[in-house]
Order: sequence, then C-alpha cells, then structure tokens
Amino acid sequence: MSQFFTQYFNFDVMGEHFGEVFVGFLQNLLVFAVAAVLALTWGLVLALLRQLPGKKLMPIRFVTIAYIDFFRAVPILIIILMISGGVPFLSFLPQEVRIPHWFGRPDPFWYGVAALVIVYGAFTAEVYRAGIEAVPKGQMEAARSLGMSHFQAMRHVVVPQGVTKIPAPMLNELISLLKDTTLISVIALSESVLVSREVLSERLNSSSLTLTAIFFVIIILPLARVVDKLIARQQLKITRGSHLEVA
Amino acid sequence: MRKTRLTALFAVLLLSVVAIGCGGGSDSTTGGGSETSAGEGGEPLTVGSDIPYPPFEQGKSGNYTGFDVELMEAIAEKIGRTAEFQDTSFETIFRDVAQGKFEAVISAATITPEREKEVAFSDPYYLSEQAILVKEGSEIGGLDELEGKTVAAQQGTTGLELGKEKANAGELRPYPEGPDAINALKAGTVEAVIIDQPVAQNAVEEEGGVEIAESVPTEESYGIALAKDDTELLKEINKSLAEVIEDGSYKTIYNKWFHKEPPKQFLG
Repeated sequence: MSQFFTQYFNFDVMGEHFGEVFVGFLQNLLVFAVAAVLALTWGLVLALLRQLPGKKLMPIRFVTIAYIDFFRAVPILIIILMISGGVPFLSFLPQEVRIPHWFGRPDPFWYGVAALVIVYGAFTAEVYRAGIEAVPKGQMEAARSLGMSHFQAMRHVVVPQGVTKIPAPMLNELISLLKDTTLISVIALSESVLVSREVLSERLNSSSLTLTAIFFVIIILPLARVVDKLIARQQLKITRGSHLEVA
Repeated sequence: MRKTRLTALFAVLLLSVVAIGCGGGSDSTTGGGSETSAGEGGEPLTVGSDIPYPPFEQGKSGNYTGFDVELMEAIAEKIGRTAEFQDTSFETIFRDVAQGKFEAVISAATITPEREKEVAFSDPYYLSEQAILVKEGSEIGGLDELEGKTVAAQQGTTGLELGKEKANAGELRPYPEGPDAINALKAGTVEAVIIDQPVAQNAVEEEGGVEIAESVPTEESYGIALAKDDTELLKEINKSLAEVIEDGSYKTIYNKWFHKEPPKQFLG
C-alpha cells in the first residue's frame, strides 16, 4: 500500500519534473486547439453534405455516410499509426505534405492533428446532424417557399437554429478530443504522457503520470460543469415552450 | 414505468458486476492449474521482457524466441524450472520486477547505477554496443554528424541517453518501441536512429534500405534484473549462467542469433 503511494504520489518527483510535464501539457493544448477548430469545421461540412437534397446528389450522401460510419468505427490509435506510417510513402504528394513541418511544428504534431480531425470530424458531424434534424421541417419548407435555395435555407434558417441545440453534446466531444491528444505519444510527439513516461523510465516512479492526470482534471472539470449548465438551460427552454423561437 | 426501467437497469449493472467478478475468479484458478501442471520442472520462473526487440526477443505470445529468450530458457533449465515469459513495456519493467510482478527481467537491459538502486542485476551476459542506423546512401557518417538532425531512439533506453548526452541532435524523438523508430527512419520522418547494435544489424539484414553508419562501444553490458531481496534466485541465476557459458551452450545460442563468435569472457 505504501509502495502504491510512493509510486504514484511522490511529491518530490512531481516537483522536480513539473516544468517538463507542464511544457508537454501545453503541447496537448496546442494540438487540441488546432484540431478542435478544424474538426468543428470539417464536421459541419460533413453534416451539410449528408443533408443534401434530391436524387442526383445521392452518391455524395452515400459517400459521406460511409465516411462517418467508418471513422466512428476504427480506433483512433490505428488511424494515427496508419497516417504516420503511411503518408510519408505517398510519393505523388509533395515532400512538405508527406513530412510536414508547418509553423515550426514537427511532423508527428501534424500527423496527430490530421488523425484527430479525420475521426472527430465524423463524430461532430453526427452531433451537428442531431441539431439540424431537431429543427422542425416547417422551417426548411417555409424558407424554400420564400425562394431561398437549399443552401441559403441551411445557411440562414436551419443551421443557426440547429447549433443552439447542441452545445452540450459538442462540448462532450471536445473534452474527449482533448483527452485523445495524449494518443499522439505513440508517434513520439513530446506531449505530457510521453514526457511523464520518460520521467518514469528515468526515475522509476510514476508520479509524473499522476501530475499529468491532475493537469487534465484541472482543465476538464470546469468544462464538465459548463456542460451541466447548458443542459439545464436547454431543459428550461423546452419546458417553457420557447424552443420554436428563432435565434 | 420509469421506476421499473430503473430497476431493470440496476439489475443489469449488478449482473455484469457479478459476471466480471466470476470471470476474475475463474481466471485465477486456471492460472493456478497451469502452475501445478508444470510441476515436473518445478514452479515456472516468470520472466518479464519487452517484446519485440529482435534479435534479443521476438515471436508471438506463447512462442517467444530470440537470444535473451533462449539464454533464459537454458538458465532456467539449469535451475530446474521452466521460464514463462510475459510481454511488458520497457519503461516500467524495473519497477514491475521490484514489485514482484515477475521474478526476473531479461530484456536487453543495460546494467546502470540508476537501475541498480531499484533492482539487483546478475553477472553481465552480453557486452553492448550502440549503432547509429541511417537510410542507405545517407550522408550521416556517425555520432558526431547528428548535430541539428532529427534523431529517434526507444524510450527509456541507453540509446536515448547517448543521444541526449552526445548527439546534439536538432530533435530527439523517443518512440515507445524500437521497431517504431526504425519504421520512422524508413518513412523518412527521422534521419537517424540510435539503437542497440544487434537490433540495428537485424534491421539491415532482415528489412534492408537502412545501413549502420557507426557502431559506438559503450562499455556497457546487459544483465538479468531481479527484485533486490531475491538474493537466493540471484545466486542460482549467476551459477547457472556460468554453467551455460562453461558447457558451450552460450556460444551456440550466440552464434545462432548474432552470426559471430562471442567475446572471450563468454567462451567456456
């Protein structure tokens, strides 16, 4: 029992390596920031493609649905390994795309971001879809009858109403995205888990992992409370019957 | 309605907990069963190793092979027990053996003063060299020419230490497993890998496309690690290792995996 505590709660080890682990954690936050913006955008694009009307656009809908299903099913760790192990061999791509060093970040950073965006794009697309499909059909019909195109109706009427319904589930996806940035450690990006494991091999003590866990808890706990608040507010709106009001 | 659903949910949860509990229980009994079935060779000797790390350890679960594996099997046989291997990750391997998760570690582990604070080491069984592995036709000639380059090594290894201390690399990437680092070299995302010489040699022979730019002697040797208080097993292992060297089976295993003669001190 005491061995468990010295192994995971050695405050000397935590203190000595605080700086390195913190720098690693900033790396996680940076990956998260870039991947979150791109995944939210990509997810919306996918959701819109999935909602395209008419028979002619069936193939696009089909491909989009196949994409979303596939990348929700495959473990993200495999995607990360496949991208970092495969993309460098795609000789038809220019060198700076195969082994990207954009903005002074090493290639594992970008391989990781790419994997997270590909997978979380699929997840966020489903959240957007839930929001879009929760907007009453009459809204689309009314907009179309006013002479708007499908795209205009989506842009000005449906999506703005849809997104007001989904902040809570979307925030959950983002929390999960933040945690999954640690998976990029397998391709040797010096983020917090990799750094802690290095400390572990050097000091033969796991307290640096506990420290990393604490960093994540500090960032994520407030977000979880925000999710609760958002859900409560949404609930209130519904019971007041005000959910039909146009934003 | 709501209440019955909740009750049902609770029941399902409870059932799954019970099921998991049972699973764990039956698991441990089967474990005990295999122990007694191996009774003729005494209790099995549990050995931790980070697999794969060819040619030291390789192969699939239940059928591991490699220099370390065969040597350990020979040593265990002398003691009168059967070696039973467990694949584990290198960075936690010394902690785990110190805590008794397995009795011994043979995993191309260099004997270092830091590690000796945590665990006990047997007599050396292998003299190590580090290799600078590069892509075929690379202009990098050795350790001195790694300045500013992107260099890979395996996490927690002496290769990584060497890189930190002497390479002055632009970026030093610690990969979780050695083969990952070699793959990164082949993919061109890193320019050199610092890794144990035989592992590099194996990569050159088996996979191609890479070559050894320089072999760096490190005055280091590998040992079998044990928990500090396990002095009796340490004595047995040292005695058996000496016997294995004496009767020439060390030489046979060495020849098989490294295709050359062992250094003088390991000749019987």
